[in-house]
Amino acid sequence: MPSGPIIAFERVNKFFGHHQVLNDISFQIAEGEVIVVFGPSGGGKSTMIRCINRLEPINSGHIVVDDIPVHDPKTDINRLRAEVGMVFQHFNLFPHLTALDNITLAPVNVRKTPRNEAEGQAMKLLERVGIPEKAHAYPGELSGGQQQRVAIARGLAMRPKIMLFDEPTSALDPEMIKEVLDVMVSLAKDGMTMVVVTHEMGFARQVAHRMMFLDAGRMIETGTPQQIFTDPQHDRTKLFLSQILHQ
Amino acid sequence: MNAESWNLLLRIGLITTAGLSIAAGLISLVLGTVIGIFRVSPVGPLRVLASGYVEFFRNIPLLICLAFIFYGLPKAGITFPIFEAGVIGLSVYTAAFVAEVVRAGLQSIGHGQIEAGRALGLSYIQMLRLVLLPQVFGMVIPPLGTVFIALVKNTSVASAIVVPELMYQAEVIAGRYFYPNVFLIAGFMYLIITLPLALLVNVMEKRSQIGHRR
Amino acid sequence: MKVWRLLMVGIVIAGLLAACTAPPAGTSGSTGKAMPKAADGTLLRKIQDRGKIVVGVKYDVPMFGLLNPTSNKVEGFDVDVAKEIAAAIFGNPDAIEYKEAVSKNRIPFLQDGTVDLVISTMTVNAEREGQIDFSNVYYLAGQSLLVPKASAIASINDLAGKKVGTAKGSTSEQNIRKMAPKADVQLFDGYAEAVAAMDAGRLDAVTTDDNILIGFQAKEPNKWKLVGGQFTKEPYGIGIAKGHPETVEMVNKVLADLKKSGKWKELYKKNIPTTPPEPPIDNWRQIVGQ
Repeated sequence: MPSGPIIAFERVNKFFGHHQVLNDISFQIAEGEVIVVFGPSGGGKSTMIRCINRLEPINSGHIVVDDIPVHDPKTDINRLRAEVGMVFQHFNLFPHLTALDNITLAPVNVRKTPRNEAEGQAMKLLERVGIPEKAHAYPGELSGGQQQRVAIARGLAMRPKIMLFDEPTSALDPEMIKEVLDVMVSLAKDGMTMVVVTHEMGFARQVAHRMMFLDAGRMIETGTPQQIFTDPQHDRTKLFLSQILHQ
Repeated sequence: MNAESWNLLLRIGLITTAGLSIAAGLISLVLGTVIGIFRVSPVGPLRVLASGYVEFFRNIPLLICLAFIFYGLPKAGITFPIFEAGVIGLSVYTAAFVAEVVRAGLQSIGHGQIEAGRALGLSYIQMLRLVLLPQVFGMVIPPLGTVFIALVKNTSVASAIVVPELMYQAEVIAGRYFYPNVFLIAGFMYLIITLPLALLVNVMEKRSQIGHRR
Repeated sequence: MKVWRLLMVGIVIAGLLAACTAPPAGTSGSTGKAMPKAADGTLLRKIQDRGKIVVGVKYDVPMFGLLNPTSNKVEGFDVDVAKEIAAAIFGNPDAIEYKEAVSKNRIPFLQDGTVDLVISTMTVNAEREGQIDFSNVYYLAGQSLLVPKASAIASINDLAGKKVGTAKGSTSEQNIRKMAPKADVQLFDGYAEAVAAMDAGRLDAVTTDDNILIGFQAKEPNKWKLVGGQFTKEPYGIGIAKGHPETVEMVNKVLADLKKSGKWKELYKKNIPTTPPEPPIDNWRQIVGQ
């Protein structure tokens, strides 16, 4: 299943002032791969994932996504961003728009899809995430889990090649986590390239092809879930896993 | 013996005041929105320009602003007719207050929404048009209503540059017929404009709350 | 009986002495003495008890009432007349508190007691006499036109369609509307604003009493000229709230002495850059022919 690299980091460094948040990060992700990124908070996970669609600038190194040099000033960043869907911890839906309008906003305005066509697609996406009946509800009328599912549908509406998830379940009440994870699992099984920052180790075991452990801005360890869970190479990884698995 | 001509003068005054308010209201809404957007724009020089504008006009008396347009600009070869001079003075002055309201509205929108918009590939203009401004206008109706009610009352300052609005007519009547009570009548006539405006703001505020259902 | 006679003589002598020590009423100048106290409850008595007189004057009319920015004092013919009145009451020409009285507020100022007297280039007419009392005429002005030096306007007949400025609440407004009904009359808070608007090219003429216009013309002789002569008679009177005959009488006495003694011409020469005419007659109706 994994073929040529669709995301490539090469010696990426990033600073917030004097604080180095990404330290010499290099890796490649193949099309169709599902990657789970984990590690202690403040370790650089979110920053790394946000560099992929240039929500964060980098200080040195190269990032190439779908053969496009992301941090080249000549790159049409909005075209690239349309290829990369993103789901946030706090959903970040537009509160003045219905679920349907949240989903159709980018197809209609960025890709110039005719509205009725975009709405047809949006309804299919809402069915896929399991809440077609909420098409005309405003975000304020939805539960956290429902909002996050709308946000996933919004991310999928541009038919992206890659989906980024930045701690998609950590702001949810426990009883809503499963409904969101179920959607993500089905997405992974459909072959979507996914980079997921999460501590949901059950999800990682179930669908991840590879896991990356980030701590203090460094990529400490990377490997299959099998390797990471049964035979972690670094003490830091062991310690962290023991902490989150024995909660 | 003077009732008829008073009546006429006050009616002219009311119409002129309403005209000043509407024209300056529309122009200051557009101008103030643009300046408010500039205030939080990612482009540094625009921010500086907009801040300078706001601080300048917010901190000078309206009368100075009107007097400059009326007495000063003609020396530079720019002579606006009286009514237009009043509209321009009131517009550029009120725009500073509108800009502050719009800026506050824009800044109150969570950063997360802006990130979501960027991640979807929206350009800066699309973000403003589709995400930020629709929400801002819902939010700023109450403070904007206050600005526009102040504008209606501020039109009275234009009497000093002979714009024939309510205050001017009241002064003419008071002086010509020794009838100071005319100011009481003029006061009620201002209420004819400002009270419905206040009610309208209340209705719009309620409606926008229903729309958002937050 | 003898006792009675002695008493009578004593009273007569005392009366004579009192008459001699009283100041010659109306005498001007800073060396004069205070006049005797007026009857209780009168405005004049109130002024005397206060120790100063409150006078409304213009602050923006050259030659009559103009605030001198360097000395921060008001100066002019009206101010000098006020000083004569203060000198007559208190023996001190400086026992005055000045208040700025513009055309639109000076009558209310009198009615609500903000000022005792208004000496502010105010024309006496029947309408105003319904509101306040006036002294005898102390100055005779006439309405005229101030126009830019290059203007083609030569008289009141050239004003059709022209923009003519004057002050709100002034008789000049009523006169110009009557005499040049086709003029576009615009009303300002004061004459200085109207002249500034003409300087900005917004007016073709400014109209009011000639003495006011002379002041503006004298300040900028290269810019302005007076045209059209005196097309009205504007007898100026001192305004006093209604119901104070003793104060009116006192003011009239001061004015009569000014006119008789030649002091009036002195004040004229001091303030107004033209040859002094004879002082005006007292009765305004006679002047305007009513």
